[in-house]
Amino acid sequence: MEEQKNPLIENVNSPYLPLPQPDEIPEREREDAMGAYLMMFAALASSLPLPIINLIAAVIYYYVNRRKSRFIHFHSLQSLLSQLPTTFMNWGLLYWFIMIWTKEAWTYNDYFKGYVIAVILANVLYIIFSLLAAVRARKGRMYYFLFFGKLSYDMVFSKSNTLVYKGEREAPAENKPPF
Amino acid sequence: MLTFEIKHQEQYSRGELLLRSFFGFIYIALPHAFLLMFVGIASQVLAFLAFWVILFTGRYPQSWFEFQVKVQRWSLRVNSRLYNLADGYPAFGLNATDDNVTFDVAFPENISRGSVLLRGLFGWIYVLIPHGIILWFLTIAFMFVNFFGWWAVLFTGKYPKGMFDFQVEYLRWNARVGLYLSYITQDYPPFSGKRDEVPAAAPTASAGENTDA
Repeated sequence: MEEQKNPLIENVNSPYLPLPQPDEIPEREREDAMGAYLMMFAALASSLPLPIINLIAAVIYYYVNRRKSRFIHFHSLQSLLSQLPTTFMNWGLLYWFIMIWTKEAWTYNDYFKGYVIAVILANVLYIIFSLLAAVRARKGRMYYFLFFGKLSYDMVFSKSNTLVYKGEREAPAENKPPF
Repeated sequence: MLTFEIKHQEQYSRGELLLRSFFGFIYIALPHAFLLMFVGIASQVLAFLAFWVILFTGRYPQSWFEFQVKVQRWSLRVNSRLYNLADGYPAFGLNATDDNVTFDVAFPENISRGSVLLRGLFGWIYVLIPHGIILWFLTIAFMFVNFFGWWAVLFTGKYPKGMFDFQVEYLRWNARVGLYLSYITQDYPPFSGKRDEVPAAAPTASAGENTDA
């Protein structure tokens, strides 16, 4: 039987740092992590129904908050990356719609209808999973999206991540293990 | 609990007064308004999202709260100069401090969800209309007082205390209504611009704290 590993104890051979546990994460950090996922409503909040608004909000939120802690960095990065596919799909839909509207050669064909349904589904799924992630982040929990979760985890919790976070050592550690 | 003060200076600079009056639009209003426009969009987005967050969690996210207070502080810092209530150039930035203008709001740990819902749905009826009507008349009075205050400073170099206090109270009243409607403060704004009575020490979103949203 495989031995159960304690996630709180750092494995020096692991390329990743240990994950913070819910009781170690201050409420303020949880709120900031949750906020990252709510940026998907920025377009609605600013009354500008442009697909790019949410992405801009997510980018700004990411750069303002990423140094606060690894937990916030992870969630804001995952939120930002996971917005890219839906944003591109929404842009595609907008472009297609404008072409139909302005060019006679473009028509409302079945390809377009299929694409509309795909975009709606993608957005609905994105909203549902983002809300789930926001709730989990508020509870101080990790939540991994397909593909983007692993990617964000690799970028944030990898020991090769050189970003300096608030409250973490800026100078390289002088005391090191003997291996 | 809201703290908003503008320091009543012993002496006001006539040179600055004239400079602000003729060129203030160019060297104060334009650059600050340009930056505040972007910050204002972020503030609007966060205010909208905060409504939903409070409804679900019963708490205003502290970073967002501090961001909103800082935006308001920056805006009041600029307005106090444009209304000639303080000398000196208003500092740029959310974390900037000011010797002449003080603005702070105590962070509420828990917020009544019902109250927020009520404000979101009916705030315009029971807050905006009654306060708006009075503030509309006060705005006219404010403009007159500001005009006479300008001449007083030009001739005497001093701002008459009564005129000064009236304008600060007007700005405080305005700020209170805005903060209440954006869920920052919890108490229904009084029909007055007088200072809040100071209770026992409460945690505040202080200017010196490093609290980027």
